[in-house]
Amino acid sequence: MASEAERKKVALRRLGDATFSKVDKVSAELFSLTYGAVVTQLLKDYEDVAAANVQLEKMGYNMGVRMVDELLAKASLAQCASFSETAEVVAKVGFKMFLGVNVEVAAATSSEFRLLLSENPLAEFVELPEECSKLEYSGLLCGVLRGALEMVQMRVECSLLRDTLWGDEVTEIRVLLKERLVEEFVDDDE
Amino acid sequence: MAYRPAREGNLLSLYINNRAGGLIFHRDFSPNAAKLDTNEQMQLASTFSGLALIMGQLAPSRPSSGMQLLEADGFLLQSFDSPTGIKFFLTAEPDAKGLDLVLREVYTYYADYVLKNPFYEMDMPIQKGGKFCQKLDRMVAQVQDRR
Amino acid sequence: MLKLRRPPCFSQLCAAQRVVSQSAFAFLFSEMIQYSQTRVNTADELIAKLEDAGVGVGRRALELACWRERSSKRETRALWKSLFGAHADSLQKVQDSDDEFMIVEKEPLVNAFISSAPVNCAAFVAGGRTPSPPESGRLGRRLAAAQFPAEVSAHDNEEGATVLLIKFAPEVLEREKRQA
Repeated sequence: MASEAERKKVALRRLGDATFSKVDKVSAELFSLTYGAVVTQLLKDYEDVAAANVQLEKMGYNMGVRMVDELLAKASLAQCASFSETAEVVAKVGFKMFLGVNVEVAAATSSEFRLLLSENPLAEFVELPEECSKLEYSGLLCGVLRGALEMVQMRVECSLLRDTLWGDEVTEIRVLLKERLVEEFVDDDE
Repeated sequence: MAYRPAREGNLLSLYINNRAGGLIFHRDFSPNAAKLDTNEQMQLASTFSGLALIMGQLAPSRPSSGMQLLEADGFLLQSFDSPTGIKFFLTAEPDAKGLDLVLREVYTYYADYVLKNPFYEMDMPIQKGGKFCQKLDRMVAQVQDRR
Repeated sequence: MLKLRRPPCFSQLCAAQRVVSQSAFAFLFSEMIQYSQTRVNTADELIAKLEDAGVGVGRRALELACWRERSSKRETRALWKSLFGAHADSLQKVQDSDDEFMIVEKEPLVNAFISSAPVNCAAFVAGGRTPSPPESGRLGRRLAAAQFPAEVSAHDNEEGATVLLIKFAPEVLEREKRQA
């Protein structure tokens, strides 16, 4: 059993690498600086860190809802048999093909998993000033995950547990499965 | 486009339905394609969504992969559902091959040229004349050339 | 409330230039535009907002690029290349004008996946409409810091390519004439 899971992990890592190698790339600096501009703008518009956090997550959600189709279109994936498999796909294929980073899965159960990022292209060269110490700079990623998973019928709650910008060793995101959504056919005539 | 005799396996039309089963895109690739007006196209698309749903429910084993290929005398209809609920279906002349690959390619274009456009709203009709259409036409031209 | 950027440490700068997928950038940029749209009423305001966003990016990019280049001679092509990774398709002079140049990009990075847009999103890349000082846009800012103050704006041409129009400030032309 254990080696089956290991084999799947290795296969997914290879798939992630292969998919990333096929896509067009841009400088991580451009990406990081653009994100910085976005965050700066949000702080100006909302003035309150808590409100900015909510907005960042929402922006991530809007992105995630659209990003998942690209993952499904470009990486040939079979349907996930379990939530921990979903975790591996997200970490090894999703994060890899979009951000080019290696992400580890920790504490995976049938309803929860954690993602550990040692590299975070969003936050290159960033330092949070005193008044923004509670800013969830990487909160965008939480939103991306929530949006992406919702599009494939899973309602989740994501939270940023640790962030290197807060002085932590790694950036850690917890993903909690709340509900599997069953597809409903909406009859337009009714 | 010059008239090409049937039985060469040409692509006829592409339809894309949103998550609610409504038509958001339609394009004809051949003068042989059925000539339907907008209302007829929309009705056809939503009927197809309904039909696909019934097929899935009738399947002897669940979960079923749903309706993928429909063969009729005068044409083939190949369908692909994205895991996100978007339905892509293609009609083609009877000898057409590789339609499932064509649809997978269309899915890639959808991810690149529709979803990345900030001026596109999810589940809404896809505007004609943009990069999505250009990519489609180029792909169809390549596919037809190979025959 | 501005965010501070830590001065880059030497080892980070020396590390091979990292990359992310173009898609990640495209989705972020797309969301940035959509967010901006909710806060403006007209196309012009949208353009202005995008240009403003470009300013901060240009300033930081310049800092980082200069650290890397470590040269006193600041070449605009090198700066352009470091951010956008390739020469713009062409740098041309506008006819009948001494101070105007164009960079024509057939597939500008920021517009790669965008079509039928009400505004040209390359405004992010370009510069301000406001006259000197060129406190505007990524390119405008970088040109300024590279001692080539200019006004930059983004337009579409008939073939659907994006044209960045660069109008240099008079002192640039003066200087070029003197050096010739």
